[in-house]
Amino acid sequence: MQLKYLTPQSNWQNRLEQNGFGYHTDENNIPYWVEEYYYSISEPLADEIYAATADLWDMCLQAVDHVITNKLYDQFQIPLFFHEHIERSWEKDELSIYGRFDFVYDTVHQQLKVLEFNADTPTSLYETGVVQWQWMNTYFGNSRDQFNSVHDRLIETWKEAKAHMKGSTLHFSCMRETLEDLTNIEYLRDCAIQAGINTKLIYIDDIGWDGETFTDLEDEMITDIFKLYPWEWLIYEPFALHIPSDMAQAQWIEPSWKMILSNKAILPILWELYPNHPLLLESYFDEPKGMQNFVKKPLLSREGANVTLYINNQVAEATKGDYGDEGYICQALANLPNQGKGYFIIGSWLIGQEPCGITFRESDKRITTDKSRFVPHIIE
Amino acid sequence: MKKSSKAVSLVLITATLASCSKPTETKEEQQRVFMRADSSAPYTEVTDQYQQQRSSGGGMGMGSALLWYMAFRPMMGGGMGYTSPGISPQSNVGSNTSKADAYKKQTARGGFGNTSKSNSAAS
Repeated sequence: MQLKYLTPQSNWQNRLEQNGFGYHTDENNIPYWVEEYYYSISEPLADEIYAATADLWDMCLQAVDHVITNKLYDQFQIPLFFHEHIERSWEKDELSIYGRFDFVYDTVHQQLKVLEFNADTPTSLYETGVVQWQWMNTYFGNSRDQFNSVHDRLIETWKEAKAHMKGSTLHFSCMRETLEDLTNIEYLRDCAIQAGINTKLIYIDDIGWDGETFTDLEDEMITDIFKLYPWEWLIYEPFALHIPSDMAQAQWIEPSWKMILSNKAILPILWELYPNHPLLLESYFDEPKGMQNFVKKPLLSREGANVTLYINNQVAEATKGDYGDEGYICQALANLPNQGKGYFIIGSWLIGQEPCGITFRESDKRITTDKSRFVPHIIE
Repeated sequence: MKKSSKAVSLVLITATLASCSKPTETKEEQQRVFMRADSSAPYTEVTDQYQQQRSSGGGMGMGSALLWYMAFRPMMGGGMGYTSPGISPQSNVGSNTSKADAYKKQTARGGFGNTSKSNSAAS
């Protein structure tokens, strides 16, 4: 793994915008997308990430089964009224499209370690599948390769999903006025259209309840809906009680059993089920249990909020936010690599059960947040 | 193991971007009538239905959906119309599918989307 530089196009921002990527730079004019350098990785490392992602996915499915079988919902702070819906979505094997594992390449152990699994609402999909691929085409043509078949896998997965839809229209939903979310969901919808699925976009607050079923703005019944909106938000909102009583039993994608995997409580569960597994970091509920170097994370934290990092039992870094009331886990601190531009982690995508692409995210500090940069990569 | 997509093409996003640079097309002049189903719903154009009613000889100048809405308004607490709030909705609707449809039109919205601990749902 090596950081390499190139001479960027003078108008690279225009190229990105013409390709529908509108948030390459933040409101303070700080680039989110890195154009002028990249991570060069070897073929064996790409294979290693692929295998690790596949192994972890199998372990995660076993862990979900363990949680559901033993009804460990309290450890995940999942309310009683929703347990049955989770179990039903698991038993019916409802459609699951994607997820992204965040790995660190531990420099001391020379080993991939999973930091967490973004199983419910992962983003940076458009950057990975489209923008990163077009960047490679722009600078290298066909002369290089990339661990990136995200686009192909998305279309293929939607084709497979079409046969399992309950109705003839697949709705896509996200919050309004969030460009990143809208770009990601429109990309997913784009791929679904290419797979031959009839789609509609509806903002999450426009979803209606007619007394029996959920409806869109044209009063069409919602039977299948992909939402880029976290389950742990949905289930505390006024319409939540309608989800289990919905006469159409709408198929929500990602399914509600993904609540178990997107919750950081899964990390100590995995450690308990697979102690000392090389892909895992030691993790416990609430307490560090003797660890001196560890990270304390809220169960439901997003984009690095409310994370505290301890070195020699002293606070070394901390981020602010609104999370924490739901409880914490403590996870051993990994040895984060830094090649001079920042600490980086590897996001590994799983689409339709198959590992298919990676992203590099880079931060000035050890805690990865929404300010972290996206860096493209090349296999060479 | 396949490493990279051979081609990446988009249909929706490309079309959306293309439409952003097009001048707005002028719609053909027509009579436009809007109805508002509840205080939070956007205005819904019912021009076609309105014109159909006028030309059919019924002459009431009002879409049937709106009529049913007025009839079943008490179910939303409006206090006027032909139904009783003291009995179950099914009893009011009976087996008449038009009535049932009209009743179902009283859709509530805004029950999702209130939680936002950050600007994005991304993870």
